[in-house]
Amino acid sequence: MSATVVGQSSAKPSEPKNYLNADHTLKSWLLSVDHKRIGVMYLIAVTFFFFIGSIAAAMIRYELTSPKGILLSSEVYNKTFSAHGILMVFQFLVVVVPAVLGNFLIPIMIGARDMAYPRLNLLSLYMFITGGFLILTSFVLGGVDAGWTFYVPLSTISETQISLCLVGIFITGFSSIFTAVNFIGTIHKMRAPGMTWYRLPLFIWSHYATAIVVILGTPVVAITLFLVVVERGFGFGIFSPELGGDPVLFQHLFWFYSHPAVYIMILPAFGIISEIISCFSRRPIFGYRFVAYSSLSIAFLGFLVWGHHMFLSSQSVLQGIIFSLISFILAVPSAVKVFNWTLTMVKGSVHFSTPMLYALGFMGLFVIGGLTGLYLASVDTDVHLTGTYFIVAHFHYVMVGGTILAYLGGIHFWWPKMFGRTYSEFWGRLSAMIIFIGFNLTFFPQFMVGYLGMPRRYHYYYFAPEWQFYHLLSTAGSTVLGFGFLLPALYLTYSLFKGKKAGPNPWNAKGLEWEYTSSPPITENFTQPILVTDSVYDYNPAEDSKMYEVDEEATVEDMNK
Amino acid sequence: MSHSHTKETDGPEVYFQYEDIEQQQETYLVGMWSFLVTEVMFFGALFLIYTLYRWKFHDDFYLVHEQLNWKMGGLNTLILLTSSFTVALAVHFAQKGNTKLQMRCLFATILCAFGFLAVKTFEYGAKIDHNLLPNHHFQYGHVEGEEEHHVESKWDKMLPSVLQVEKKEQHGNPQRARLFFSIYFTMTGLHGLHVIIGIICFTALMILIKIKSSLITDYVPTEMVGLYWHFVDLVWIFLYPLYYLIPK
Amino acid sequence: MAADHGHHEYTAGGAHAHHILPQKTIFLIFGLLLGGMALTIWAAFFLPVKSLLENTFFMQSLALGIAVFKAYLVVTYFMGVKMGTRLVKIFAIGGFVWFFVLFVMMADYVSRPMEPVVGWEKVPSSALPRDTVKNPE
Ligand SMILES: [Cu+2]
Repeated sequence: MSATVVGQSSAKPSEPKNYLNADHTLKSWLLSVDHKRIGVMYLIAVTFFFFIGSIAAAMIRYELTSPKGILLSSEVYNKTFSAHGILMVFQFLVVVVPAVLGNFLIPIMIGARDMAYPRLNLLSLYMFITGGFLILTSFVLGGVDAGWTFYVPLSTISETQISLCLVGIFITGFSSIFTAVNFIGTIHKMRAPGMTWYRLPLFIWSHYATAIVVILGTPVVAITLFLVVVERGFGFGIFSPELGGDPVLFQHLFWFYSHPAVYIMILPAFGIISEIISCFSRRPIFGYRFVAYSSLSIAFLGFLVWGHHMFLSSQSVLQGIIFSLISFILAVPSAVKVFNWTLTMVKGSVHFSTPMLYALGFMGLFVIGGLTGLYLASVDTDVHLTGTYFIVAHFHYVMVGGTILAYLGGIHFWWPKMFGRTYSEFWGRLSAMIIFIGFNLTFFPQFMVGYLGMPRRYHYYYFAPEWQFYHLLSTAGSTVLGFGFLLPALYLTYSLFKGKKAGPNPWNAKGLEWEYTSSPPITENFTQPILVTDSVYDYNPAEDSKMYEVDEEATVEDMNK
Repeated sequence: MSHSHTKETDGPEVYFQYEDIEQQQETYLVGMWSFLVTEVMFFGALFLIYTLYRWKFHDDFYLVHEQLNWKMGGLNTLILLTSSFTVALAVHFAQKGNTKLQMRCLFATILCAFGFLAVKTFEYGAKIDHNLLPNHHFQYGHVEGEEEHHVESKWDKMLPSVLQVEKKEQHGNPQRARLFFSIYFTMTGLHGLHVIIGIICFTALMILIKIKSSLITDYVPTEMVGLYWHFVDLVWIFLYPLYYLIPK
Repeated sequence: MAADHGHHEYTAGGAHAHHILPQKTIFLIFGLLLGGMALTIWAAFFLPVKSLLENTFFMQSLALGIAVFKAYLVVTYFMGVKMGTRLVKIFAIGGFVWFFVLFVMMADYVSRPMEPVVGWEKVPSSALPRDTVKNPE
């Protein structure tokens, strides 16, 4: 991008200081208000929660290899899938991209020295950890059996540790609200001079849209879950039917947040993909404004479709039809993005580096996940498919195939920036392939078995033993997938110690974070104030590709110089 | 690092991430406003629940609401409006740099907030004595074959006669009454919790101003706590007519 | 940046002079708020027109109308939206508007009694699902 450094550079520092080696004490990490250190701490925390959630997933898959179940009693199985859902949704998917990559990159991308409210940022990290700790405590003290949706009246009469778990989710929810407030303040007020809205990277646009959804939606689910706690703890009866209350009201309020929460999870992923696609196609993103606006329209329209989760409740038929219609309309802005990414690659000079492989995997899986969503958004097919493994497969295609693949792509893309080291490109590409194959092997059979009628949240299917074939495929796939997830953890950690030093811009990418900071960046991000004079995406396919392709293997090392 | 000046100004301190004091002040206000949007949605869900049940069970709600003491609610409205007024004055004096008057206004606000909680204590105490807290002790209306329960509450007796209202019989469906009191206690309880948080914020603010902490460099902290407090007042402005003045 | 940034005059707190809400206005708004409160209570109990006092819709609208007016005063003046930046105005209005999106839920409860197709319970037998056990055709 075109930007200039204002003023003359003063004497160069003798030893390259950066945010990692600025201070080595533990206290300097735990009490750091540096957005980059907070991002790294989030990285560790979410990885931990993901690991615990994955263990629960592995238990589920193992249990389902036999039609009669193997290991778990029904109660324990309920607690297992609840633990998987709660940890993965509230402690991983909702926060992962904004908290790790968003925290790290937003100030750098807009040319700021830090987040708008650094102390609030640290507070939200600790709230996140506290919330997660309370949730884990509730699992240890006996578990939670109401699923991640906590539908009343099950969650009000269940005798498991639901109250404690809900308090944890409440705290985590406010942690993400504070992060969103921080993003909004930062993006509105901290942009470098010349960084106009239409020069912002699309990563920023999608995080801004996400932050809006968080501050509008999260309080609603927070209060709803709080009401369940009150109902359990004090015997109040706000949703209880015997007092004339309406349990479906809980579902309304829950999904008022939890459908937009899907966009909280996927919008930041869209931002990552936009960055990766344009970098590795060496072309400016096609239809920048359309992509930016589609983020905002997804954010707002996303609030008007929650009823598609409730077609089988006592929701009125009229409203069901209207929600169905809006859900179909909502597919349009998502499709705009996919088409624009595709058109960015057309005539671009595409390089299949690791982040790009993840991004391409994302596009394929997200399209499948999105299109199967249409089956679930139309009232009559949903009557057949809801509550089956079809729906499980659908949202795993969107959540795992979408968010997690994009997150991994983003981690691989910005890893050299975050830690100043490069990883092995061979292992990177291999892991992207393994995850793609393992993912499809896990979840595609679930579409089929779900269509045949396998209900979700059951740990046996002795009434239809012929489904075992699909479940075996799925479990085999999940083993491959788990191995695929393990690989990056290993070689990325290895690269921290043994990786080659990355230059400031190993991908020859555009953007303030690549062109004006060192790898890793210094604590203040920029040595000089920044003045932005042109659009971010001034890639030139013809010129760039030449330079890029000559020594694609050596790029990473050579960029050092 | 975090408190170093990046630019010399005559005005208050600028944190390192900002370019100038104007940016810092505006950024803080934007953050506070986006948090207030969150609070609107937080209470908004409760107002929706109220609306739904009020719409479904209007007649019962009307009969049950007569158990509430509208004079006490009115007194609380008066107290909160006054506190909003004193906060507005506090911000005014903070902007003028008149710390002495600012502190007095803040102190008056804290007094109002405690007054609000005191009134609330009388209300809650009486409700709990009358078994109207919707837990397992809840009892409403006339039970077949029993003496009509006329529990006297010490909280009611302690009130000056101006604030006492005529005792109404417990009409209406007891189940709906329980629903009513569930929502009533949830909404007013959460509102009361916000009042307590407000007291904590104001006290912290006053202490920080008193000890000339480096955290308070200009009027913006006062204005932010003030914004929060006005929001608390706003919620009560709606709660009062919706709970205490339900029309027939 | 900000090399060309002009030097601003700051008051003691760092605010622009025109951002300060004058004392007179604060007192005036306080008076209006108290008046609104008195009016609400008076209307709820002592409204002389009996027919209006019995009219639920009117009484509720009146009480809420006054409440909205009071809220408007607090938000506009005490919370400084009137003097605030455009962004503050957008947030204030946006929060208020989005609050009403929640009320889409009421549409569900209002439309539940509506029948999808009038007389749908008396569907002709030809439109019912086939009894595949008795009649495999
Ligand atoms: Cu949905």
